[in-house]
Amino acid sequence: MAARADNEPLLSARGVARRYGSQEALAPTDLDVRAGETLALVGPNGAGKSTLLAILAGALEPTAGRVEQGAGAPRVGWVPQRPAQYGRLTARENLVLFARLEGIEDVPGTVARLLELVDLAQPDRPAVLLSAGNQQRLNIALSLLADPDVLLLDEPTAALDPGQRRRLWSLVDVVRERGGAVVFATQNLDEVEHHAGAVAVLQAGRLVFLGPFAEYERSPAAEIFA
Amino acid sequence: MRAVRLLLLKDLRTLSRAPALVVALVLYPLLIALLVGLVARFAADRPRVGFVDRDQIPETLVVGGQRFDVNGVIEQVETEVDLVRMTDGEASEALRTGDTVATIIVPRGFVSRLRSLVRRPELVLRITRGGLAGRVERQTEALVYNLNRRLQDAYIDANLEYLRLIREGGRGTFLGNDFDIVGLEGAQRILAELEGQGDPAARAQVEELQTFVREALLALGQSGETLRATANPITLRLDDEGRRSWLLSAQVQAYALALTIALLCILVAAAGIAAERDENVLGRLTRGLVRLGELVAEKIVLVALVAVGLGMILALALGAAIELAGSTSFASWGRVPLLAGGLAIAGAAFGAFGVLLGTLARETRAAALVAILVALPVVLLGLLPEVSVAPAAWLSDAFPFAHAVRLFESTLYDADPWATIGRELAWLAGLTAAFGGAARLGMRRLLA
Repeated sequence: MAARADNEPLLSARGVARRYGSQEALAPTDLDVRAGETLALVGPNGAGKSTLLAILAGALEPTAGRVEQGAGAPRVGWVPQRPAQYGRLTARENLVLFARLEGIEDVPGTVARLLELVDLAQPDRPAVLLSAGNQQRLNIALSLLADPDVLLLDEPTAALDPGQRRRLWSLVDVVRERGGAVVFATQNLDEVEHHAGAVAVLQAGRLVFLGPFAEYERSPAAEIFA
Repeated sequence: MRAVRLLLLKDLRTLSRAPALVVALVLYPLLIALLVGLVARFAADRPRVGFVDRDQIPETLVVGGQRFDVNGVIEQVETEVDLVRMTDGEASEALRTGDTVATIIVPRGFVSRLRSLVRRPELVLRITRGGLAGRVERQTEALVYNLNRRLQDAYIDANLEYLRLIREGGRGTFLGNDFDIVGLEGAQRILAELEGQGDPAARAQVEELQTFVREALLALGQSGETLRATANPITLRLDDEGRRSWLLSAQVQAYALALTIALLCILVAAAGIAAERDENVLGRLTRGLVRLGELVAEKIVLVALVAVGLGMILALALGAAIELAGSTSFASWGRVPLLAGGLAIAGAAFGAFGVLLGTLARETRAAALVAILVALPVVLLGLLPEVSVAPAAWLSDAFPFAHAVRLFESTLYDADPWATIGRELAWLAGLTAAFGGAARLGMRRLLA
């Protein structure tokens, strides 16, 4: 990961919007993801959080607007809400396949390191047979393959036990402390309170608040999520 | 290409981990071959035809002094249809209920007309409208033709007997009346006796008659061959060279191959591309790891490999069956590598079509259903004969099935297949490009 100055924009959404037919999933939205920042994306179900994260990750094309990358083309890791992996391949084979697709040189070393990092039990079982928690650990490990500067997490702790949650948040801290940035969508107010430096509130596809956590607590937007 | 190779290996590994699917993929072509064989056997089955003899035809019939077996000739038709003797009432009921497809009726007076040589006897054919009607009609025409030929032979023999009487003289019968004639040879003898008598005028007349008798005898000596030649200007000689059964014919093999890989390739391709979406990996893949076009190409290559594997199993099974049948040797062992290439191209075309369907259906189960629903009419379009339903044939050209059939048929059995192979390969390559391009555009639906 390249050394970056705090507050340097790593990813910028410029008027990004997404429509599905006549339905507007995300209204035109501007958002900067800055180095050293942990941004919580909150809002009711269907508010557009997953859509915004997928657009920022490059997994979904916006119907309007664009996503700009900061200097040095920061690498982006994405943990989608539903695990994105091949069910008939084992956890290890999934990691090997995506590591090769990423063009990583030391594939066995990288895979071993990530398996240890997420503490994935039974790495040689087909992914479809893993528990929901272990599938989510694999999902997270896959997002870390490229050693990301920006980590985009879509409700990452939903299937994790308390120990794994702690492990995940320490990973988040590592990314942020190295000059990266983390954006996570969540429905858990405790997670926002303990881990978010800034908060973005989405409601019905519209960004209704963006600012530091302290401001968020005092803003009317906090009522939406409360 | 690296991404395509990695995803291809992933898919092959995934396939290998679904043993039930692999068994189904291997058994499916064999099942198709069996079903095609059964259908072919049904097609070759003799249709049931009622036979009503109102005139009580005797076992042997004398016509023009010649004996011949009318029943024997009629029953010759049984090589092609199942002739069932019935009463009038039974025949009508059987025709009404569909138990028979036609009735051949010998009307009263048939035999007497035949013997009289004055009025033409008739056979009556009652036929239903349906798929087999034309076949029964042709068989009945063949029966009448055979009867006419036998009668013709009898009449020629009778005529030749009259000619012999004219030439040699003797006792004969015509229309039931007996007669004696002296004949040309007898006349020649009498004229020779008259020639020795003194009257010069009578001798000159006798010599004139002798000349006529000589020339008549010469001419009548050649009349037998001439009569037969004018009655049957061309005869067909059938040389049996161990013909292949319908089940093992080149056309059936080509259809079995094309049908098998059409259904399987379209299904595998459609389900395969939709499965990428179902596993939620499309977003992860298309974030710079794999281009959409590469994903389409990978599925096409995968399906082409499946087509080669399954097609070779089926072709080798059919080849072995031909060898075991022993009627003739499988002439195509040397063409197996060429067939493998054809299977790959045809598989790619079916694969591209299947990927397009998968992108439209989006979900694996829906894709599998759509693949079956669309593949069947495409196959049936290709089965329609070009000469009878021209628009269907034109439409069929827009899909890979008909081209695959022609490619396989030519590859396996044409003595000089290159022109057909070149044309059909070009069609299949073009269809692969067209459907592949459309599938690439359709991929955006999967990402949405």
